[in-house]
Amino acid sequence: MADGTISREYGPFEGVDGVYGVDTDGERIWYAAGDSIRALDPETGELTERIDVQGDAGTAYDGTHLYQLYEDEIRRIDPKTGTIVSTVACPCGTRGSGMAWAEGSLWIGEYRGRKIHRVDAETGELLATLESNRLVTGVTWADGELWHGAVEEEDVELRRIDAKSGEVRERIHVGEPGVMVTGIAPTKDGRFFCGGGSSGKVRVVGRGED
Amino acid sequence: MSNNDDAKRAARALAAGDPLAALKLVGRREDPECLALRGIALAQIGDLALARSLLDRAADAFVDHPVERARCVAAAAEVALAARDLTFPLETLSAAIGTLAAGGDSVNAAYADLVLIRANVLLGRIDDAHERLSTIHYDIAPATLVAVRHLLAAEVAIRRIEANAAADALERAARAATVPSLQTEIADTTKLLDKPAARLLDAGDERTVTLREVETLFASNTPIVDACRPSLRIGGEIVSFLRRGTLFTLLLELARAGPAGVARETLFERVFESKIADDTQRARLRVDTSRLRKMIAPHATIEATGEGFRLLPEVVVLRPPIDGDHAAVLALLADGRRWSTAALTAALGTSRRTVQRALAALEADGRVAAYGRGRNQRWQRPPLTTIATALLLPNLGPIH
Repeated sequence: MADGTISREYGPFEGVDGVYGVDTDGERIWYAAGDSIRALDPETGELTERIDVQGDAGTAYDGTHLYQLYEDEIRRIDPKTGTIVSTVACPCGTRGSGMAWAEGSLWIGEYRGRKIHRVDAETGELLATLESNRLVTGVTWADGELWHGAVEEEDVELRRIDAKSGEVRERIHVGEPGVMVTGIAPTKDGRFFCGGGSSGKVRVVGRGED
Repeated sequence: MSNNDDAKRAARALAAGDPLAALKLVGRREDPECLALRGIALAQIGDLALARSLLDRAADAFVDHPVERARCVAAAAEVALAARDLTFPLETLSAAIGTLAAGGDSVNAAYADLVLIRANVLLGRIDDAHERLSTIHYDIAPATLVAVRHLLAAEVAIRRIEANAAADALERAARAATVPSLQTEIADTTKLLDKPAARLLDAGDERTVTLREVETLFASNTPIVDACRPSLRIGGEIVSFLRRGTLFTLLLELARAGPAGVARETLFERVFESKIADDTQRARLRVDTSRLRKMIAPHATIEATGEGFRLLPEVVVLRPPIDGDHAAVLALLADGRRWSTAALTAALGTSRRTVQRALAALEADGRVAAYGRGRNQRWQRPPLTTIATALLLPNLGPIH
């Protein structure tokens, strides 16, 4: 197994304790930095925005508002003004990990629970709790190579699968001993932005031979 | 283009079984590809109703792209199956498989073929499923496809009471599977192999047996009265008592008693549910005994004893692993999914009235719960992980 090459590293940034949730809106990388939510321009490497709202896991974006998990709450934030518009209780308490927005709902993954909670983005009402204990569906839009990210506990491994043979062709270990990996978002060029937890860094990770 | 890249990355996330990551990328866009990807993401998350509507919308939007449209149809079919909508037109799925294959999308054509076979398993067409599956071999295929194929082979083997073949297939599936939800499915199915599949009564002693033990028993030429699938297995033959309820009850009483036999009065009570012992009952018993004798000849027979009757030769008796009526309906609901009455009827190959009566009784006992009303009504019970239900489920022929 190869160690991932960190092709670029951003941070740590002054005043930022750690990097937690990571999300991208196509132009900026939003990440929760403990005491604030930051936007990072991946081209220049600069922090372009700062919203002084604490956040420690799971960031989502509906095109207008940012949503951020903090402790056992979901915060809705107006990125233009940097203010928290509303706060609701997170249905999985403090165990929420990833979060996405779609179809008017927030979808929140429960760390270790293999459950996903569906929450009304407007009202915060819990609409459903879903367990994915069987694969529905396996119909795929991924042509050619299939990258596979596997997250076990706090260790992250990226695997490249040969689409024809099903063999694992490459395994990349992301993260360093003692450093959590706290979020992944894909880059435009097939690599990954990974939040580096308490190191306060966002790394771009790609293949070993880069 | 950034948009295309997002879709590609979402597709990869889905292939890895990470639907949340995919949603983050395509959650906000309305072009057909993103509708489809969002539908697949929501299917993987488990919101089947929403997934289905998105996939249907995507299929409509792909009007000039037959291969992409066929993918949506195949995904929608799989979602329908998962929602236990067994009225989904399987010809539509077959047509989609053809379009995918002709369009060069061999991976999805192969996957959709597995979905079709799985629909047959749910409908109880086990032999059909077994035959089709045995013609499918992949020289090189993506890991998920390989894993799903082996998992399906295991499910078919379980329904055919071939525990060793099932264990073998599950092992292969586990080696190939990299998607977490698939790994969970494989692990859950593997655990079932060691669960009680039936109770075995042998020379007065009763104990629970696993699927493996039942398989060994079936292969051993021991004469068996099987109350799970009402039948007599003897001399290499299987005599079915489906729709011959009274005769089977008679056979079962005689089988349980062994060489000691059963008194007439006891049979009146247990078989005819009558406490009266008069000439009518005696005549009735003679008639039924005679009918039964014909059915079980030549390998078995019924002898008159002083007080009643006995069955020869001695047999062992298999009973369902749990008590209570309506074992077959419960067995289908054991997967914890929501089933409609129509789907239960289709899967059991019985009449709708029979299923309705069973559901009413089970609901009165608090063993199943109803959701919704009318055409949207669904039935559910918490998933049953303590028993293996294979023996309770029918093996139906191609046309029923």
